[in-house]
Amino acid sequence: MKKSSLIPQTIIIDKDTNHIIKKPGHYIFEIIKPNIKVDIFSALQAKGDEEKELNVVIHHKAPKTTAQTTLKAVGFDQSTLIMKAKILIDPGCQETESFLTERVLLLSKDAHAIAIPDLEILTDDVKCSHAASVTQIPEEQIFYMTSRGISKKTAENMIVEGFLKMEE
Amino acid sequence: MTNPAVDPQNFRPSNQSSTEFSYSTAGYKHITKPGLTEGTIREISSLKNEPKWMLDIRLTAFRQYQLLNTPSWGADLSGIDFDNLRYFLRASDEKPSWDDVPPEVKETFDRLGIPEAERDVLAGVKAQYDSEVVYGSLKEVWEKDGVIFLSMDEGLEKHPDLVKEYFGKVIASNDNKYAALNTAVWSGGSFVYIPKGVEVKMPLQTYFRINAELSGQFERSLIIVEEGAKVHYVEGCTAPNFSSTSLHSAVVEVFVKPGATCQYTTIQNWYKNIYNLVTKRAYVETEGKMIWTDFNMGSKVTMKYPGYILAGKGAVGETLSMALAGEGQHQDTGSKAVHLAPYTSSNIVSKSISKSGGRSSYRGLVKIAPEAHHCKSSVICDALILDPESRTDTYPTNIIENNQVEMQHEATVSKVGDDQLFYLMSRGINEEKAKKMIVNGFIADLVKKLPMEYAIEMNRLIDHEMEGSVG
Repeated sequence: MKKSSLIPQTIIIDKDTNHIIKKPGHYIFEIIKPNIKVDIFSALQAKGDEEKELNVVIHHKAPKTTAQTTLKAVGFDQSTLIMKAKILIDPGCQETESFLTERVLLLSKDAHAIAIPDLEILTDDVKCSHAASVTQIPEEQIFYMTSRGISKKTAENMIVEGFLKMEE
Repeated sequence: MTNPAVDPQNFRPSNQSSTEFSYSTAGYKHITKPGLTEGTIREISSLKNEPKWMLDIRLTAFRQYQLLNTPSWGADLSGIDFDNLRYFLRASDEKPSWDDVPPEVKETFDRLGIPEAERDVLAGVKAQYDSEVVYGSLKEVWEKDGVIFLSMDEGLEKHPDLVKEYFGKVIASNDNKYAALNTAVWSGGSFVYIPKGVEVKMPLQTYFRINAELSGQFERSLIIVEEGAKVHYVEGCTAPNFSSTSLHSAVVEVFVKPGATCQYTTIQNWYKNIYNLVTKRAYVETEGKMIWTDFNMGSKVTMKYPGYILAGKGAVGETLSMALAGEGQHQDTGSKAVHLAPYTSSNIVSKSISKSGGRSSYRGLVKIAPEAHHCKSSVICDALILDPESRTDTYPTNIIENNQVEMQHEATVSKVGDDQLFYLMSRGINEEKAKKMIVNGFIADLVKKLPMEYAIEMNRLIDHEMEGSVG
């Protein structure tokens, strides 16, 4: 696989933070103080023949930190979505909790997705998980809405909108 | 290494009493000089009286091996001294019955319980000692049905057409550097052919053993399961304790024809200075099913990603992978699922345990091609990390090229919970025993998929590895 050409941008986190990633890119979050809670959220869309790449590193450099990362993306047309995310926990960072979710919805059969969720855990006593999924809109959801008189196109748009919304 | 028929009371995993298992190589009939040149390859080929096309394959692969780079990812392989390895060792000249096997070799395998094992639970056995298969048998029932279970060398001699048709067809010699090396110097391994519709109800088994120091074992296996047939193949690996490192680099190719099923089980317990670099892949046709059960306990470094190419509609791939990395070990294992046809599904479950500074990594690939609509893929990786010095990684790559798919990946990392330990210990179980119970519980789902004899042994091996791990 080709190497990412993105220039990494480092974000130092030293207090509780809600961070929304607005643009594709390469982001390194360094959590440097103990007892910090971070929420990272991103919602991407790619249309036409766009190729969008998001590369997120969550680097736990202090013990007792908590991170919740949710990355969502929708691919239309012939677009390509590349979602890379890595949780890195340094030695000595006990009682870290870090969770990562990557969810990709592909709306066209020509849309592509590459999902690479990595974990590198160099200490014990952590709670850590990641999950990634790539799917299309479930047919029963479209059926439910079209049976209520909503056109297929509108139904899709509504579902996409709901999908990309930040979870409370 | 596996040893199902041994009295459980007297069971000792091989690496504990490994010095007893090491024998002199003085009586060996043939040992190549250390290092690898074109001459070495010609020597191996002529010793085996191979057809010219095989020599050509070997020489092409050797040139590819010289050109290919060492992978830039994965485990540290700098400890392998390729120039001082001996690439071919022959312990005896004959293709003997059990009685003709040299006494030292026999004693080793006797101690491993192989002849007994065969009597009870296996349909056929092969034993490979360094570079060549020294002993083999197959129960008559299966022979009558046309099942072929030979060493790869005999396979080439007796069924050259089959070998020529399938050899290197799913793992090309330039697939990776170590596959090229294997293709150049391969020796031994199994050749299995299951005719159409034949269901081999008992497992076929091969034991691999490296006896000589500073040697490489390059077995090459080819398994062909014809339409509707079914087979379970088991391999066990062992080596004694040497001061210097040895290399085991195998290539295993499996062909699963329409509606056929193949289960391939590995119980790898090499001594902890063996580099184990293995390429395994299956080509699965319409509604065929390939199951890899892969248990990695031993070796210094293992890099192994058994995979399947799901080429026919409705083909199924399943991987159950277990790795245990202790002190100084790096288990870099995983699985590769390539979906090329519609309605195919893959299911990968990986469980790893890292302890005493060991490192276990899951490295996997799921690729779903544009034509492969209505595919399902599920990858689940659970890691257990037992102390602060250990490390665990997960490197999954998912490439999805159409939208009518369901792809899921999940991974979790955890330690043995204090609440779990507390619960067990409050019931009078000591800490070590409680930890063992929890670890055995962690891998129980996978062990259940093994035939009973192996499941018992797996639990014992885990218990043994966990001994003294209470810090």
